[in-house]
Amino acid sequence: MFNPRRRRLLAGACALLATSLAVTACSGRKTASGSEAEVPSSVQLIVPFSAGGGTDTFARVLAPALEENVAGNPSIEVVNREGGESITGTNQFVSQNPNDGSQLLVASATTTYQWLLDLPQVKYDFTKLKPLMVTGTGGVIYASKDSGITAVEDLKSPPKQLSYGGISATGLDLSALLAFDMLKLDPEVTFGFEGRGPARLALMRGETNLDYQTTAGYLTQVQPDAEAGKVVPLMSFGVLDENGDVVRDPNFPDLPTVPEVYEQLYGEKPSGDAYAAYVAFLAAGFSYQKGLWATPETPEGVRQAFIDAVPALKKSEEFEKERTASLGDYPVYAGPEVAQALDKAFNVPDSVKQYVFTMLETKYDTEIQ
Amino acid sequence: MLDAALSALSGFADPGMLILLGIGVIAGLGMGVLPGLGGTAAVGILLPFAVALEPQQSLPILIGAVAVVHHSDVITAILLRVPGSASAAVVMPDGNAMAKQGQAARALALCFVASMVGGVLGAVGLTFSIPIAEPLVLSFGSPELFMLTVLGISLAALLSQGNMLKGLVSGTLGLLIGMIGAAPAAAVYRFSFGSDALLDGIGLIPLALGFFGLAEIAHMVAKKSAIAERIEVGGGWLQGARESLREWKMMLRGVIVGMWAGVLPGLGATAGTYMAYGQAAATAKSEDRKKFGRGDPRGLVAAESAANSVEAGDLIPTLLFGIPGGAPAALLLGALLAYGIQPGPQMITDHLDIMYTIVWSFAIASVIGSVVCFFLAKPLARLSFVPFQYLAPGLLLIMFVASFSDSGQFGALIAMLLLGVIGYVMKETDFPRAPLLIGFILSVPMERYYFLTDSLYTTGEWIQRPFVLVMLAILVTPVVIMVVKKVRSGRGAKAGTSGSAADDSVHAAGEATAKHPAMAGTATTTSGAGVSVDPGGSPRPLSDGHLASAGADGPAGASRGGSAPEDPPADDEGNLNRTWWPALFGALVLVAFAGALVVSQDYSSRARLMPELISALGIVLTGGFLIREGVAIARGRRRGTLWNLELSQTTVAFGWLVLFIVLVNFLGFTVAALVYVPLFLWRVSRMGVLGLSIYTVAAVALLVVGYLYGNIDMPAGTVLPVLPFLQA
Repeated sequence: MFNPRRRRLLAGACALLATSLAVTACSGRKTASGSEAEVPSSVQLIVPFSAGGGTDTFARVLAPALEENVAGNPSIEVVNREGGESITGTNQFVSQNPNDGSQLLVASATTTYQWLLDLPQVKYDFTKLKPLMVTGTGGVIYASKDSGITAVEDLKSPPKQLSYGGISATGLDLSALLAFDMLKLDPEVTFGFEGRGPARLALMRGETNLDYQTTAGYLTQVQPDAEAGKVVPLMSFGVLDENGDVVRDPNFPDLPTVPEVYEQLYGEKPSGDAYAAYVAFLAAGFSYQKGLWATPETPEGVRQAFIDAVPALKKSEEFEKERTASLGDYPVYAGPEVAQALDKAFNVPDSVKQYVFTMLETKYDTEIQ
Repeated sequence: MLDAALSALSGFADPGMLILLGIGVIAGLGMGVLPGLGGTAAVGILLPFAVALEPQQSLPILIGAVAVVHHSDVITAILLRVPGSASAAVVMPDGNAMAKQGQAARALALCFVASMVGGVLGAVGLTFSIPIAEPLVLSFGSPELFMLTVLGISLAALLSQGNMLKGLVSGTLGLLIGMIGAAPAAAVYRFSFGSDALLDGIGLIPLALGFFGLAEIAHMVAKKSAIAERIEVGGGWLQGARESLREWKMMLRGVIVGMWAGVLPGLGATAGTYMAYGQAAATAKSEDRKKFGRGDPRGLVAAESAANSVEAGDLIPTLLFGIPGGAPAALLLGALLAYGIQPGPQMITDHLDIMYTIVWSFAIASVIGSVVCFFLAKPLARLSFVPFQYLAPGLLLIMFVASFSDSGQFGALIAMLLLGVIGYVMKETDFPRAPLLIGFILSVPMERYYFLTDSLYTTGEWIQRPFVLVMLAILVTPVVIMVVKKVRSGRGAKAGTSGSAADDSVHAAGEATAKHPAMAGTATTTSGAGVSVDPGGSPRPLSDGHLASAGADGPAGASRGGSAPEDPPADDEGNLNRTWWPALFGALVLVAFAGALVVSQDYSSRARLMPELISALGIVLTGGFLIREGVAIARGRRRGTLWNLELSQTTVAFGWLVLFIVLVNFLGFTVAALVYVPLFLWRVSRMGVLGLSIYTVAAVALLVVGYLYGNIDMPAGTVLPVLPFLQA
């Protein structure tokens, strides 16, 4: 069915094709040559979240700033590998990494939370991954006017049953849940909202009366309502200083932090597992929420090139504008600056983890398999 | 306010602005045509260029793309029966029926005009609803959203096209498939069986593409034919345009439904489009209703105007509350953030100029997009005469790329293929497929809003809310009317002739057994789980649908009842209908429901309730269906066909699809394409060497360009990466 002449023609066509492919390919992405430590000419930022989300936006603004400021000006492309609360993409990042610096990870709180909670699907380890750049955000807990709460003192015996709308117990909500737990608040919690936005709308409709928003969301969406007296700002989550202590959020200097409120309500500084758990998840969830990470096998020279770009990054107008718009005004750190703090934050003692598991199971019927 | 509107409009007097808008429109139309790729891909490609510009310049590009994606996504749906996006699946039956009769241009023109009107009115609606958006959105709480999802699911009955029980089985199966992945109200991954690819469930794109598109490709390749049976493009495009303008009322209704679906969080374009189509069909006179799905212009017009106004409506929560309704809107939000513009009420006070740039861009892009499409309608319509085996390889590449880039999971390709097989069997056994899609998209929202409603309100509280009552009335009224009609016609039918009456009584018997135990079954599971289910819950679409069948099922049943079982299938009937196959497929579905019921026993209570209810309902419905089929088989009303030539050919066609996935698994996407495309063209299409080479080079070159410059992700193989020549 296949005469020799035709076969030769076919082979010729294939050869032609292969050449054309190779030519197109080479003109597009040049491969790195020379020493191992050189930054590859094209770098993928793996975002384990879907396009358009907060982390994706962050990565997309980060990409051009890195292209400009990393030695060798690599071309940088954002690749979304969403799924399974960012576990899928991050697993893939660690297991199928060329380890030459051509794949870096942009992780967020959700990613670290799944690991801190020892979820069985997680195959990555943030104490092994290398931070190149880290930045964070904050958040504010507030109540609706309906709740009857006028000041934090009312929290000790709330005039009405408090009720809070969450997304899922193992996501960023956990920080709020740990804050409630530490303050011995007992709100009715409903999970299943699609995001913080819909949860805020539920509060505006009077379906819930207690909510938190991250800094950017709070400043644009809640602040006007707070000024109009429709909602009552209560406390900020606070930020971590160099010693790992919770201090006031520079974006909300007038709001007490969660530990401060504890002191106000109970007359002593918070301590013990509840406090330790709060601090651990505050670090992962807010203070060091967004990070650029490399696998430990990535050559040190390549990692250093990205770390060295951080000071210039901070001067990039576009990056700064976007960062403050989406996260609020929080410091940007080069990896090594916070390596120790991250180490401390991420080495959560087993007893604290156990405390969190018990709280999730007893209060929220969430069992971590 | 008017000042700002006019000053934003005057910006478009600048030809530079129009050029930017044009770039966006072209990208949007281009991505819209490609099956599975759409707004997300278009915005994703444009974003890097756009963020380099000032907001006033970049917004026209991005909005231009978002506004026209649903203009062009109908093209492949109508001409090739492969939906350009999930929402384009809505127009497939009607558009296709027209294309089959050689009236593709008419169908396209109808859609393009409706798209334009939908877009422009959507933009107008966007302007006027900005001041009232907040109270409107706040008036719709979880109970209203829950009722809306129930209302949407009840459409499954309406879209069953005279196969009520089959339609309900299909819809319930859709609900179950939608439950794969993370449960909305508990930290449980359901039915994922330890697979990473299933953690997030099956994507809408693989589902729509596989279920409709692959099923069609396999079928058409097997038949080696083209979609259009008659070659006559005709002067349809002018006729279509005129016709659509005549249906302006229908368009207006479509726009209103679409806007709402866009404004409300969690429904999305596909649900909105189906609801618009559903309301058009539901409000048609009953003798008129059977035209829907068989080439009714009203259905096309309502669906298309809605599909485009959804995107406009979507901008309201995106800009005012920072809650994007879909991925393209989320990307747009990201772009705004990149300029330091935060969504929120201050958009109106501080950034009114930006708001109006968006509104005008949307309106102008809709017009430009339609004009462009219009010029293309006639030449494009010829596509429907091209035999499928020539189009297949190119289409396959696009669909698999789209499906993969949607989730980044190789498993999505396998899921798409399996859904293709299911889609094919359902198509050939006359199981309506639209209900499955609706059930699938509304499954998780229904569950989410049910649990939110249940824990935020008492039953007495939420059931009395005014909008809930209105929607309850919409659900119940047709049922009451149908009951009355059924009782009346039931008296009349006793005098009917033997043939059709016999078949009808079989129907009725099957449905009756389906209906009552369903209620009982649901009730017991409900009380067992200790959670109250409202009367408008899942049983509702069943009873609604059951009664609606009186109108739609009657004529079809009658015509079929008269034909002898040995007759070959009718023109618009599936190849395997009235054989043993529907029963076989039903049995498989029954096993799936039973399996789901068993598996769901392991989940925590909040993750278990819905799968339990749905599988119980599914078991009852499928059981009823099997009884009906069994009776029909026993009475010799089913052909004994178990295998025929067409089936063997289709199996071979599916074998070709499997081969591609296997190749991709080992060789990576581009090399697999390099091997597969010529092989397919040589063996299946019998193409000459020259054509084959050009086709292959063009296809692979486009893939390479898309991968390198278009930021489109493709699967790497276990042996080779996506582009092995780079590593050489």
